[in-house]
Parts: sequence; structure tokens; C-alpha cells
Amino acid sequence: MRKFLPVEDLARDERFNQITMNDRMADQRTAITTDSRPSRAANRIVPSRADASDAARGLMHGIFVGEIQALEGAGRTCWDFTTGSEAPFELKLDMARQCWDEARHVEISCKLSDWMGSEIGEYAENTVLFQAACSNDPVLRLAGVNRALEGLAIDVFTTMKEFGEVAGDQYLEFAEDWMLADEVTHVKMGSDWLRKITENDPERRKKALDFQSVVDKLFSYGGTRSESQESPIGLARRFRELAGFDDQEIDVIADLSLAALEERKAAVLEAQAALN
Amino acid sequence: MTVEVTPQTFTFVSFDSAYILRIAQRLIGIFGLEDQNIRIDINETTPLGKMHVEFGDPIVINIQSGAFEDFSRPRQQSEPATTQSLGRILLKVSDRLSPEFADAPADEDLTLMQVAIWETYCVGRLSRHDIEINRQRWLYNFRNRHGFNDASDRAFEKIWNSDKLTWDQLQSISDTAVALAQ
Amino acid sequence: MADSKKPRAPFAPWDRRELPGLFSVEESARRVGAYKWCELKLFEALGGWIATVPELDVKMRLGAHCYKHAWHAELWHKRLPELREMNPDRLTVAPNEHMVRFIEALTEPEAPELTIEKLVGVYRVFIPHFISAYTFHLNNTSDITDAPTMRSLRFVLQDEFEDWRDGEMLIQSLIETPSEVDRATNHQASLEKILLAAGGITGSGTIGFNTPEHEGALI
Ligand SMILES: [Fe+2]
Ligand SMILES: [Fe+2]
Repeated sequence: MRKFLPVEDLARDERFNQITMNDRMADQRTAITTDSRPSRAANRIVPSRADASDAARGLMHGIFVGEIQALEGAGRTCWDFTTGSEAPFELKLDMARQCWDEARHVEISCKLSDWMGSEIGEYAENTVLFQAACSNDPVLRLAGVNRALEGLAIDVFTTMKEFGEVAGDQYLEFAEDWMLADEVTHVKMGSDWLRKITENDPERRKKALDFQSVVDKLFSYGGTRSESQESPIGLARRFRELAGFDDQEIDVIADLSLAALEERKAAVLEAQAALN
Repeated sequence: MTVEVTPQTFTFVSFDSAYILRIAQRLIGIFGLEDQNIRIDINETTPLGKMHVEFGDPIVINIQSGAFEDFSRPRQQSEPATTQSLGRILLKVSDRLSPEFADAPADEDLTLMQVAIWETYCVGRLSRHDIEINRQRWLYNFRNRHGFNDASDRAFEKIWNSDKLTWDQLQSISDTAVALAQ
Repeated sequence: MADSKKPRAPFAPWDRRELPGLFSVEESARRVGAYKWCELKLFEALGGWIATVPELDVKMRLGAHCYKHAWHAELWHKRLPELREMNPDRLTVAPNEHMVRFIEALTEPEAPELTIEKLVGVYRVFIPHFISAYTFHLNNTSDITDAPTMRSLRFVLQDEFEDWRDGEMLIQSLIETPSEVDRATNHQASLEKILLAAGGITGSGTIGFNTPEHEGALI
């Protein structure tokens, strides 16, 4: 088995169809409205949305494939690096623990998909999550995956948990809350290892944090996640704090996400103007 | 009477208007809407899947591209999604044209609960026309509107299995479910 | 109420534990170091394979099992300093070169069509060898002096049995043709031959045969 598996080689059965960020960007349609009327500006996935059930199903499938890739990413970190010289033994133990957690998250997601009436492979799988797990520096990987990707997972699970709570769907609320607990742990693992390994290497730490913000921006693409109600997914400040993000770090992600939303809106306006 | 699909060619999505027309014609035949002039306008600039009807001559059905899309292959058309979406909206048209639905509020005045009962009524009937429907998806939608409880599930069951309901009967099943859950 | 001053035997009549054990402190540490090395190699491989198997149920099982073997490695890692090895890395080694070769052969399959080979290597070869090595240790060490190792061994063996059953059931469910039976048995045979040369998880004498006598052992 090779070290460092390219994203194209992720093994899937025939139900899955994988797309890249480029495929997604090639789609000129947008769900984000440029209409400024307040009633139209609410894209947040909440039960009061007219298409709430379908929006929740779509997001749930996104979570499902995200969990598979998180599982694969953590597993690859166990394999890709030599224990001791490239990655500490204890870091690998954490990654193995994360494998188990993510495997349970895949199981939970499958049960929830059944509950919501979705089928495996009903939606495309965006492989951008695994791409963040492909760095050849374990610290960068932890920054990209555990801090950026798992941070996004905290935002997503909080949005879904609240969705279940408001809809009176205890099955959904229960499951999301449990996953949320695990993800907070995973983000904390990322923060702790980043601090520990780069304690005497400010350059490496800066590189890792830069990589994290690149990944954060990538996941904020199109304004999917931000504090604005125009974004389908919110930014979960409280749970991010629990996971070891400080206020300033959360503010940076909030600003970055909002900028991504505005960028996308401007691009849509431009595309529409070009059409007319 | 005529059926028309616009646009003829698509820029943002890979849809086939002739294919959509064939599916629409088949469904129009099944639902006995042959005596109506119908135009299907597809809005390909959004991936959302909303549908809306304007009654006139012709009857204009506005459909956003997400309603016909294969979500696993973005921008590609899905035959099941096209059939299900057209089936749902055409059944709604047929209901609206019948006196039993004279009391139904206008689309923009329908509550989310009312939308859910009507949708359930449509997809339940569709499932008996050999059209593949994921029942759990619609049960989930119904529960999101009526609550996650036994009364809600019984109401869903009743509507799903019915073929000849009036708007008032639909409304009453929904009201009963809500009252029982409280 | 019993008389609190009345002398009692240090070992209750039902407590039949005995002092003698087959392993000296050094031999125990050597074995534990080999266990850690093997568990480490196993959890690394399981982790790496997750992304390479298309079968969803197998993917998830490998994820769960990856953690269990990491936990075993951690237990052995923590036991080493208690066995007078203050630098656990020194004993975290393969018992011999054949075992290194075994791990190379075990982890060779990568292609998505090779799930049977991946699972056979782990569940029909490696894990059965863990079970025998751990059982031998459990049954032959001193009930009294090596109780901490025994406690870990029991936890670990519980996992190994469960994982072996999970893996065996996955293998049986994946084998659908006689040629796949051949694939499984051929791969098993080729790996077993390397382990034969290695002598087992801890090298020669893993389960008592050809065991060199260990200085300081009390038998
Ligand atoms: Fe997860
Ligand atoms: Fe996670």
C-alpha cells in the first residue's frame, strides 16, 4: 500500500458519484438570492423554510460523505507517516480514536438518511474534504482537517441539531448532539497537537495556520457557512469555544465566511448582468 | 390542446426539452388533462426546485431546474425526478381544476402544513401509477409539518392511501392530527 | 459479626493463584514490546486501508478496529516502563526480520478489488496469531507478579475475539465463488509461511514450542 493516496483513488461503490470543487464552481446557477427583500434573504436551513425537508436531506447526505472522508483522512494519517520520526505515537493514537468516532458518524448518518428518506448516493460527493487531508505535513493536516473541517462540522451539526429541536424531531436532535460532542473533541485534538508540535517552530505553526485559513475559506466557498441568515449553515460560536478556538479566531472565520458570501453574491450579479 | 416546454435549449443545465415534453404528455394523459393548453417554463438559473402554477390559457407551470435534476450528477437531468416533479404539479393542477378543491387557498396563502398535506396526497396517488416514490421522504416531510408522533403518522397514512379526497377532507385530516398531538 | 482480630489466611480457600510464572521481567518486557510493535503496525495498516476499500460496511469496521488495536498498543506502551523499560521505543521492535517481512506482505494489497486479501491477512492470519500469543502469555505468566499484564491481556483478548469474528463474517460474506475461496486460502498460505519463519508474534517460542529458557524465570 502506498503512502499518500491521491483523492481520485478513494474507493467507493457504484452508488457514489464524486465531484471536485472545480465541478461545483462550473455550476453557474446559484441558490443564493441576490434579492434584497428580507423574506427572501433567509437561506439558513431551518424548518420554517418552504423546502426544509429536502434541504435537510441534502445537507445530511453532505454530512454522510463528509464523515466517510473524515474517517479516511484520519486513517491515512495513521498510515502515511512514520511513527516517531514523522508523527508522534500519541498523535497516531488520537487519529485512530478519530477513525472509530468517524466510523460511528458514518453509521449515524446512514440511519439518519434512512429516517429522512434519502438514499446513499442520491447526491454528489464533493471530495474537497479529503483533499484537505492530503498534506504531507501531519501538522498541516491537523490544521486543515481537525481545525477547519471539523470546525465546519461543529457548525453543521449545530445547525442540524437546532433544526431537529425546532421541528420536534428528537431522533435527529439526539444523534446530532452526540456527533457534536465527538467533533468538539476532534477540533480540540487539532488545536492541542498544533500547539504542542510547533511549540518551538513558529514558522511551521504559521504555515499550518495559513493552511487552515485556506481550508476555512474553501469551505466557506459561496457563503455556505456564515453568521448571516443568508447562509444555509450558521457559525457555532459556543461549541467552537468549547473546542479551543478563542474569540479572535472565531471572529476571523466569521469575517472570512461573510466575505465569501459577499464575493459569491457579487459573482452572481456579474454573471446575471452578462446574461441580460 | 397543446403542451409546450420552454426553453427549447438549455445553457446552465444539460436538460432535454423534448424528453421533458414526452414525460409531460404521458402524465397529462394519465391525469386526463388533455383538454388543457399547458406551457412548462423551466428556470435554469437556480438549482432550487420550486414549482408554481399560473392558471390562464395556457396554464403556465414554472419549474426551477432543481426539480428535474439528478443531484448525484449536478446539472444533469434525472428521469425519475422529472416524472415525480411533473406528476406532483400536474396532479395539483388537476385538483385545482376540480370543484372539490374550490375552497383550497391560493398557492401563496397555503401554510406549510397545507402544502405538506397536498403534496402527500399527490405523491400517494402517483405511487399507484407505477411511478417510483420514496415514501419515507414524504413521511419525513409530513412529520416536519405535523409533528413526530403517532397521530401525525396516521394522518399521513390516510392521505397517502386516498384517491378521492376533497380539500375540506384533507384539511380535516390534518386538523385532527394536530389536535390529537396536543 | 466476625471477630475483627481473628487472623485470616492471605489467600482465601478459593483463591488458587500461584507464584511461579514462565517469564522473567526481561522476557515479559520483550514480549510486551513485540506486542506493541505488532499492534502498532496493525492499526496503521487498518487506518491506511480504510480509504482503499469500497465496501461501506468494511470501511466502517476497519475504522472501529483501527482504534481498538491502537488502544492495545497504548496499553503495552504504558506497561513497558512498569517492566523496567524506561525507554519504551527500545523494545518497540519486531521480534525478527521475518516479522518485518510479514508486515510488508500483509500491507501490500491496496487496489479496491483486493478487500478479500486485506481482510484475510488481518483476520485469518494476524489476529489468530495475536490470540494464540496472548493466550499463551495469559496462561503461563505468574498469576501474582504479572497481574497487571494479565488484566490487559484479558481486555485485549476480548477485543481480538470480537474483531476476529467480525472479520471472519465479513470475509465469508465477500467470498462468492470457488476462485475467491482460492484467492483467500492462497493469500492466507503465503502469509502463514512468513509467520512460520517468524515463529509468531514474539518470534520463536511465541506459544511455548522451541522456547529458550529465560534466565530468572520461575517454573
Ligand atoms: Fe465526524
Ligand atoms: Fe470528526
